[in-house]
Amino acid sequence: MKTIHIKLILLVAMAVFIRTPFAANITTQKNEASGLYSWVAESEGFSIELIQLLPDFVRAIYMAHDFPATEVDDIAGYCVFGTVIKNTSLDQLDYDVANWYYTDSAGKDHRIKTKSEWLQQWRKAGVTFSWTLLPDKGTFYEGDWQQGFTTIKLPRESKFNLTYKWSINGTEHTDIFEGLRCAPEQLSEQ
Amino acid sequence: MHRNNCLNNKIISLSILAILTSLLTLTVAAAWEDQPKLGHSMTAVPKQVPAPEFTLEDMDEEQHSLKDLRGKVVLLNFWATWCPPCRREMPSMERLYQKLSGEDFTVIAVNQMEDGDHVFAYIGQLDVDPTFTILFDKDSKVSNSFRVNGLPTTYLIDKQGKIRYRAIGGREFDHPEVEKQIMQLMQE
Repeated sequence: MKTIHIKLILLVAMAVFIRTPFAANITTQKNEASGLYSWVAESEGFSIELIQLLPDFVRAIYMAHDFPATEVDDIAGYCVFGTVIKNTSLDQLDYDVANWYYTDSAGKDHRIKTKSEWLQQWRKAGVTFSWTLLPDKGTFYEGDWQQGFTTIKLPRESKFNLTYKWSINGTEHTDIFEGLRCAPEQLSEQ
Repeated sequence: MHRNNCLNNKIISLSILAILTSLLTLTVAAAWEDQPKLGHSMTAVPKQVPAPEFTLEDMDEEQHSLKDLRGKVVLLNFWATWCPPCRREMPSMERLYQKLSGEDFTVIAVNQMEDGDHVFAYIGQLDVDPTFTILFDKDSKVSNSFRVNGLPTTYLIDKQGKIRYRAIGGREFDHPEVEKQIMQLMQE
Protein backbone atom coordinates (compact mmCIF):
# COMPACT_ATOMS: atom_id res chain seq x y z
CA MET A 1 0.00 0.00 0.00
CA LYS A 2 2.81 2.35 0.99
CA THR A 3 4.64 1.53 -2.29
CA ILE A 4 1.53 2.39 -4.32
CA HIS A 5 1.29 5.76 -2.55
CA ILE A 6 4.92 6.55 -3.28
CA LYS A 7 4.45 5.55 -6.92
CA LEU A 8 1.35 7.74 -7.18
CA ILE A 9 3.17 10.72 -5.65
CA LEU A 10 6.07 10.19 -8.06
CA LEU A 11 3.70 10.00 -11.05
CA VAL A 12 1.90 13.21 -10.02
CA ALA A 13 5.24 14.96 -9.45
CA MET A 14 6.47 13.84 -12.87
CA ALA A 15 3.26 15.03 -14.53
CA VAL A 16 3.60 18.48 -12.91
CA PHE A 17 7.30 18.56 -13.81
CA ILE A 18 6.59 17.77 -17.47
CA ARG A 19 3.60 20.08 -17.92
CA THR A 20 4.94 23.16 -16.13
CA PRO A 21 6.97 25.48 -18.36
CA PHE A 22 10.29 26.59 -16.93
CA ALA A 23 11.45 30.13 -16.46
CA ALA A 24 14.02 30.76 -19.16
CA ASN A 25 17.60 31.79 -18.47
CA ILE A 26 17.30 35.57 -18.72
CA THR A 27 19.86 38.35 -18.96
CA THR A 28 18.87 41.99 -18.58
CA GLN A 29 20.66 44.93 -20.12
CA LYS A 30 20.14 48.62 -19.61
CA ASN A 31 21.16 50.90 -22.43
CA GLU A 32 23.02 53.62 -20.51
CA ALA A 33 22.55 56.14 -23.31
CA SER A 34 18.79 55.75 -23.66
CA GLY A 35 17.87 54.33 -20.25
CA LEU A 36 15.80 51.63 -21.94
CA TYR A 37 15.96 47.95 -21.07
CA SER A 38 16.36 44.83 -23.13
CA TRP A 39 16.14 41.21 -22.09
CA VAL A 40 17.44 38.01 -23.64
CA ALA A 41 15.99 34.61 -22.78
CA GLU A 42 18.04 31.59 -23.76
CA SER A 43 16.15 28.34 -24.01
CA GLU A 44 16.85 24.98 -25.55
CA GLY A 45 17.64 25.73 -29.19
CA PHE A 46 15.81 29.06 -29.10
CA SER A 47 16.76 32.55 -28.09
CA ILE A 48 14.44 35.54 -27.84
CA GLU A 49 15.37 39.14 -27.14
CA LEU A 50 12.89 41.88 -26.32
CA ILE A 51 13.98 45.51 -26.57
CA GLN A 52 11.92 48.35 -25.11
CA LEU A 53 10.92 50.92 -27.71
CA LEU A 54 9.61 54.39 -26.98
CA PRO A 55 6.16 55.28 -28.38
CA ASP A 56 7.74 58.22 -30.26
CA PHE A 57 10.14 55.85 -32.00
CA VAL A 58 7.22 53.62 -33.04
CA ARG A 59 5.30 56.67 -34.29
CA ALA A 60 8.32 57.80 -36.29
CA ILE A 61 8.68 54.39 -37.96
CA TYR A 62 5.06 54.19 -39.12
CA MET A 63 4.78 57.87 -40.05
CA ALA A 64 7.82 57.35 -42.28
CA HIS A 65 5.86 54.66 -44.11
CA ASP A 66 2.88 57.01 -44.64
CA PHE A 67 0.48 55.21 -42.31
CA PRO A 68 -2.76 57.08 -41.51
CA ALA A 69 -2.56 59.01 -38.23
CA THR A 70 -5.20 56.79 -36.58
CA GLU A 71 -3.15 53.65 -37.35
CA VAL A 72 0.05 55.31 -36.13
CA ASP A 73 -1.63 56.28 -32.86
CA ASP A 74 -3.16 52.83 -32.52
CA ILE A 75 0.09 50.88 -32.71
CA ALA A 76 2.01 53.50 -30.71
CA GLY A 77 -0.64 53.00 -28.00
CA TYR A 78 0.59 49.44 -27.60
CA CYS A 79 3.65 48.51 -25.66
CA VAL A 80 5.95 47.71 -28.59
CA PHE A 81 9.15 45.70 -28.31
CA GLY A 82 11.86 45.16 -30.85
CA THR A 83 12.07 41.38 -30.95
CA VAL A 84 14.91 39.18 -32.13
CA ILE A 85 14.40 35.42 -32.29
CA LYS A 86 17.10 32.94 -33.20
CA ASN A 87 17.41 29.26 -33.88
CA THR A 88 20.39 28.31 -31.72
CA SER A 89 20.02 24.62 -32.50
CA LEU A 90 21.39 22.71 -35.48
CA ASP A 91 17.93 21.43 -36.35
CA GLN A 92 14.65 22.68 -37.75
CA LEU A 93 12.80 25.06 -35.44
CA ASP A 94 9.17 26.09 -35.81
CA TYR A 95 7.27 28.79 -33.93
CA ASP A 96 3.80 30.29 -34.03
CA VAL A 97 3.12 33.55 -32.20
CA ALA A 98 -0.59 32.63 -32.04
CA ASN A 99 0.40 30.08 -29.36
CA TRP A 100 2.22 32.64 -27.23
CA TYR A 101 0.58 34.71 -24.50
CA TYR A 102 1.48 37.24 -21.85
CA THR A 103 0.42 37.38 -18.23
CA ASP A 104 -0.15 40.76 -16.60
CA SER A 105 0.69 41.66 -13.00
CA ALA A 106 -2.84 40.67 -11.91
CA GLY A 107 -2.22 37.16 -13.27
CA LYS A 108 -4.52 37.51 -16.28
CA ASP A 109 -3.42 35.90 -19.56
CA HIS A 110 -3.72 37.75 -22.88
CA ARG A 111 -3.04 36.55 -26.40
CA ILE A 112 -0.68 38.55 -28.60
CA LYS A 113 -2.08 40.45 -31.57
CA THR A 114 -0.36 38.74 -34.49
CA LYS A 115 1.14 40.26 -37.61
CA SER A 116 -1.70 38.76 -39.69
CA GLU A 117 -4.24 40.53 -37.50
CA TRP A 118 -2.40 43.83 -37.82
CA LEU A 119 -2.16 43.41 -41.61
CA GLN A 120 -5.88 42.72 -41.82
CA GLN A 121 -6.56 45.94 -39.90
CA TRP A 122 -4.08 47.94 -41.99
CA ARG A 123 -5.46 46.68 -45.30
CA LYS A 124 -8.90 48.01 -44.29
CA ALA A 125 -7.23 51.37 -43.69
CA GLY A 126 -5.66 51.26 -47.16
CA VAL A 127 -2.15 50.35 -45.99
CA THR A 128 -0.27 47.82 -48.11
CA PHE A 129 3.04 47.96 -46.24
CA SER A 130 3.45 44.54 -44.66
CA TRP A 131 6.85 44.48 -42.98
CA THR A 132 8.28 45.62 -39.57
CA LEU A 133 6.28 43.20 -37.39
CA LEU A 134 7.60 39.84 -36.22
CA PRO A 135 6.18 37.21 -38.61
CA ASP A 136 3.43 35.06 -37.04
CA LYS A 137 4.98 31.78 -37.94
CA GLY A 138 8.36 30.60 -39.05
CA THR A 139 10.44 27.60 -39.90
CA PHE A 140 14.06 28.26 -39.12
CA TYR A 141 17.04 26.15 -40.10
CA GLU A 142 20.49 26.32 -38.53
CA GLY A 143 21.67 29.92 -38.21
CA ASP A 144 18.33 31.51 -39.10
CA TRP A 145 17.09 34.47 -37.11
CA GLN A 146 14.48 37.15 -37.49
CA GLN A 147 13.64 40.51 -36.04
CA GLY A 148 10.44 42.52 -35.92
CA PHE A 149 8.09 44.30 -33.55
CA THR A 150 5.91 42.54 -30.98
CA THR A 151 2.88 44.42 -29.65
CA ILE A 152 1.59 44.03 -26.10
CA LYS A 153 -1.67 45.70 -25.09
CA LEU A 154 -0.74 46.95 -21.64
CA PRO A 155 -0.29 50.42 -20.11
CA ARG A 156 3.14 52.06 -20.13
CA GLU A 157 5.67 50.62 -17.65
CA SER A 158 3.45 47.59 -16.93
CA LYS A 159 5.21 44.46 -15.77
CA PHE A 160 4.36 41.14 -17.38
CA ASN A 161 5.62 37.65 -18.21
CA LEU A 162 5.66 36.17 -21.69
CA THR A 163 4.98 32.48 -22.28
CA TYR A 164 6.41 31.39 -25.60
CA LYS A 165 6.48 28.10 -27.44
CA TRP A 166 8.56 26.58 -30.19
CA SER A 167 9.40 23.15 -31.48
CA ILE A 168 12.62 21.55 -32.60
CA ASN A 169 12.26 18.68 -35.04
CA GLY A 170 8.64 18.43 -33.93
CA THR A 171 9.36 18.31 -30.19
CA GLU A 172 7.46 21.11 -28.47
CA HIS A 173 9.02 23.39 -25.87
CA THR A 174 7.53 26.08 -23.63
CA ASP A 175 9.29 28.68 -21.51
CA ILE A 176 8.35 31.74 -19.51
CA PHE A 177 10.10 35.06 -20.06
CA GLU A 178 9.74 36.65 -16.63
CA GLY A 179 10.19 40.22 -15.45
CA LEU A 180 9.44 42.12 -18.65
CA ARG A 181 8.34 45.73 -18.49
CA CYS A 182 6.80 48.11 -21.02
CA ALA A 183 8.74 51.24 -21.94
CA PRO A 184 7.67 54.55 -20.39
CA GLU A 185 5.81 57.17 -22.42
CA GLN A 186 8.99 59.24 -22.44
CA LEU A 187 12.38 58.96 -20.88
CA SER A 188 12.86 60.76 -17.57
CA GLU A 189 15.54 63.02 -19.10
CA GLN A 190 12.82 64.49 -21.29
CA MET B 1 9.15 93.41 -24.57
CA HIS B 2 8.48 90.95 -21.74
CA ARG B 3 6.03 89.10 -24.01
CA ASN B 4 8.73 88.84 -26.72
CA ASN B 5 11.25 87.50 -24.19
CA CYS B 6 8.72 84.90 -23.01
CA LEU B 7 8.07 83.87 -26.61
CA ASN B 8 11.80 83.59 -27.35
CA ASN B 9 12.35 81.52 -24.20
CA LYS B 10 9.48 79.26 -25.22
CA ILE B 11 10.93 78.80 -28.73
CA ILE B 12 14.39 78.04 -27.28
CA SER B 13 12.87 75.54 -24.80
CA LEU B 14 10.87 73.82 -27.53
CA SER B 15 13.95 73.67 -29.78
CA ILE B 16 16.03 72.10 -27.01
CA LEU B 17 13.21 69.62 -26.34
CA ALA B 18 13.02 68.75 -30.04
CA ILE B 19 16.81 68.20 -30.22
CA LEU B 20 16.74 66.05 -27.06
CA THR B 21 13.83 64.01 -28.42
CA SER B 22 15.65 63.47 -31.72
CA LEU B 23 18.83 62.42 -29.93
CA LEU B 24 16.95 59.98 -27.72
CA THR B 25 15.04 58.58 -30.69
CA LEU B 26 18.34 58.08 -32.49
CA THR B 27 19.73 56.32 -29.41
CA VAL B 28 16.69 54.03 -29.31
CA ALA B 29 17.12 53.36 -33.02
CA ALA B 30 20.81 52.60 -32.52
CA ALA B 31 20.00 50.13 -29.72
CA TRP B 32 17.43 48.37 -31.93
CA GLU B 33 19.79 48.27 -34.88
CA ASP B 34 22.82 47.02 -32.95
CA GLN B 35 21.65 43.47 -33.20
CA PRO B 36 23.14 39.96 -33.30
CA LYS B 37 26.27 39.02 -35.14
CA LEU B 38 25.61 38.04 -38.71
CA GLY B 39 25.69 34.30 -39.41
CA HIS B 40 27.92 32.80 -42.04
CA SER B 41 26.16 29.86 -43.62
CA MET B 42 23.06 29.12 -45.62
CA THR B 43 20.96 26.01 -45.12
CA ALA B 44 20.21 23.48 -47.84
CA VAL B 45 16.44 23.39 -48.33
CA PRO B 46 14.92 19.96 -47.66
CA LYS B 47 13.07 19.96 -50.98
CA GLN B 48 14.53 21.54 -54.10
CA VAL B 49 11.80 23.44 -55.93
CA PRO B 50 11.97 25.72 -58.98
CA ALA B 51 12.31 29.37 -57.99
CA PRO B 52 9.15 31.34 -58.92
CA GLU B 53 9.62 33.30 -62.13
CA PHE B 54 9.54 37.09 -62.03
CA THR B 55 10.29 40.17 -64.09
CA LEU B 56 11.10 43.39 -62.24
CA GLU B 57 12.57 46.78 -63.07
CA ASP B 58 15.91 48.12 -61.92
CA MET B 59 16.72 51.72 -61.00
CA ASP B 60 16.91 52.69 -64.68
CA GLU B 61 13.51 51.10 -65.33
CA GLU B 62 15.09 48.27 -67.31
CA GLN B 63 13.37 44.93 -66.93
CA HIS B 64 15.15 41.84 -65.61
CA SER B 65 13.74 38.31 -65.59
CA LEU B 66 14.99 35.47 -63.45
CA LYS B 67 14.66 33.06 -66.37
CA ASP B 68 17.34 35.04 -68.25
CA LEU B 69 19.80 33.98 -65.57
CA ARG B 70 19.51 30.23 -66.24
CA GLY B 71 22.99 28.78 -66.32
CA LYS B 72 24.15 31.03 -63.49
CA VAL B 73 24.06 30.51 -59.75
CA VAL B 74 22.01 33.40 -58.34
CA LEU B 75 22.16 34.82 -54.83
CA LEU B 76 18.70 36.37 -54.52
CA ASN B 77 18.32 38.72 -51.58
CA PHE B 78 15.08 40.36 -50.36
CA TRP B 79 15.76 43.60 -48.50
CA ALA B 80 14.74 47.15 -47.61
CA THR B 81 16.69 50.24 -46.58
CA TRP B 82 14.91 50.50 -43.22
CA CYS B 83 15.81 46.91 -42.26
CA PRO B 84 18.91 46.96 -39.99
CA PRO B 85 20.31 43.49 -40.80
CA CYS B 86 19.72 44.12 -44.53
CA ARG B 87 21.95 47.17 -44.30
CA ARG B 88 24.55 45.29 -42.31
CA GLU B 89 24.85 42.39 -44.76
CA MET B 90 24.92 44.49 -47.94
CA PRO B 91 28.70 45.26 -47.92
CA SER B 92 29.44 41.52 -47.70
CA MET B 93 27.17 40.90 -50.70
CA GLU B 94 29.12 43.45 -52.68
CA ARG B 95 32.46 41.86 -51.68
CA LEU B 96 31.11 38.46 -52.70
CA TYR B 97 29.87 39.86 -56.01
CA GLN B 98 33.23 41.50 -56.70
CA LYS B 99 34.98 38.22 -56.02
CA LEU B 100 32.77 35.67 -57.80
CA SER B 101 30.59 37.42 -60.36
CA GLY B 102 30.99 36.35 -63.95
CA GLU B 103 29.54 33.78 -66.28
CA ASP B 104 28.56 31.40 -63.47
CA PHE B 105 27.40 33.64 -60.63
CA THR B 106 25.48 36.81 -59.94
CA VAL B 107 23.78 38.68 -57.09
CA ILE B 108 20.31 40.19 -57.29
CA ALA B 109 18.90 42.32 -54.46
CA VAL B 110 15.12 42.73 -54.58
CA ASN B 111 14.03 45.83 -52.68
CA GLN B 112 10.66 45.76 -50.95
CA MET B 113 8.13 48.55 -51.45
CA GLU B 114 10.51 51.47 -51.81
CA ASP B 115 11.16 53.75 -54.75
CA GLY B 116 14.28 54.33 -56.79
CA ASP B 117 14.95 57.80 -55.37
CA HIS B 118 14.85 56.52 -51.81
CA VAL B 119 17.17 53.60 -52.54
CA PHE B 120 19.48 55.83 -54.57
CA ALA B 121 19.79 58.20 -51.60
CA TYR B 122 20.51 55.26 -49.30
CA ILE B 123 23.19 53.86 -51.61
CA GLY B 124 24.86 57.25 -51.61
CA GLN B 125 25.46 56.87 -47.87
CA LEU B 126 27.31 53.55 -48.20
CA ASP B 127 31.10 53.31 -48.07
CA VAL B 128 31.06 51.04 -51.11
CA ASP B 129 28.44 51.39 -53.85
CA PRO B 130 26.69 48.11 -54.63
CA THR B 131 27.46 47.17 -58.23
CA PHE B 132 25.14 44.16 -58.31
CA THR B 133 21.62 44.51 -59.72
CA ILE B 134 18.96 46.02 -57.48
CA LEU B 135 15.36 45.37 -58.51
CA PHE B 136 12.13 46.89 -57.20
CA ASP B 137 9.30 44.73 -55.91
CA LYS B 138 6.96 47.63 -55.26
CA ASP B 139 3.95 45.60 -54.14
CA SER B 140 5.87 42.66 -52.58
CA LYS B 141 4.27 40.24 -55.06
CA VAL B 142 7.61 38.60 -55.82
CA SER B 143 8.56 38.23 -52.16
CA ASN B 144 5.10 36.72 -51.55
CA SER B 145 5.66 34.22 -54.36
CA PHE B 146 8.89 33.18 -52.61
CA ARG B 147 6.97 33.03 -49.28
CA VAL B 148 9.27 35.56 -47.67
CA ASN B 149 7.95 36.34 -44.20
CA GLY B 150 10.61 38.69 -42.94
CA LEU B 151 13.60 40.69 -44.13
CA PRO B 152 16.28 39.93 -44.99
CA THR B 153 15.69 36.55 -46.60
CA THR B 154 18.14 35.19 -49.15
CA TYR B 155 18.01 32.27 -51.55
CA LEU B 156 20.73 30.55 -53.49
CA ILE B 157 19.38 29.37 -56.82
CA ASP B 158 21.26 26.82 -58.91
CA LYS B 159 22.00 26.92 -62.64
CA GLN B 160 18.77 25.04 -63.40
CA GLY B 161 16.70 27.65 -61.53
CA LYS B 162 16.04 25.54 -58.42
CA ILE B 163 16.18 26.91 -54.88
CA ARG B 164 19.00 25.07 -53.12
CA TYR B 165 19.84 27.12 -50.02
CA ARG B 166 18.03 29.64 -47.83
CA ALA B 167 18.99 32.10 -45.11
CA ILE B 168 16.58 34.01 -42.88
CA GLY B 169 18.27 36.92 -41.10
CA GLY B 170 21.51 38.68 -41.92
CA ARG B 171 24.62 36.86 -43.09
CA GLU B 172 28.23 37.63 -43.91
CA PHE B 173 27.97 36.45 -47.50
CA ASP B 174 31.67 36.62 -48.25
CA HIS B 175 32.44 34.17 -45.45
CA PRO B 176 34.36 31.08 -46.71
CA GLU B 177 31.43 28.80 -45.73
CA VAL B 178 28.98 30.64 -48.00
CA GLU B 179 31.59 30.94 -50.74
CA LYS B 180 32.15 27.19 -50.58
CA GLN B 181 28.41 26.53 -50.97
CA ILE B 182 28.28 28.85 -53.98
CA MET B 183 31.40 27.37 -55.57
CA GLN B 184 29.95 23.87 -55.24
CA LEU B 185 26.81 24.96 -57.09
CA MET B 186 28.91 26.73 -59.72
CA GLN B 187 30.83 23.51 -60.38
CA GLU B 188 27.69 21.39 -60.84
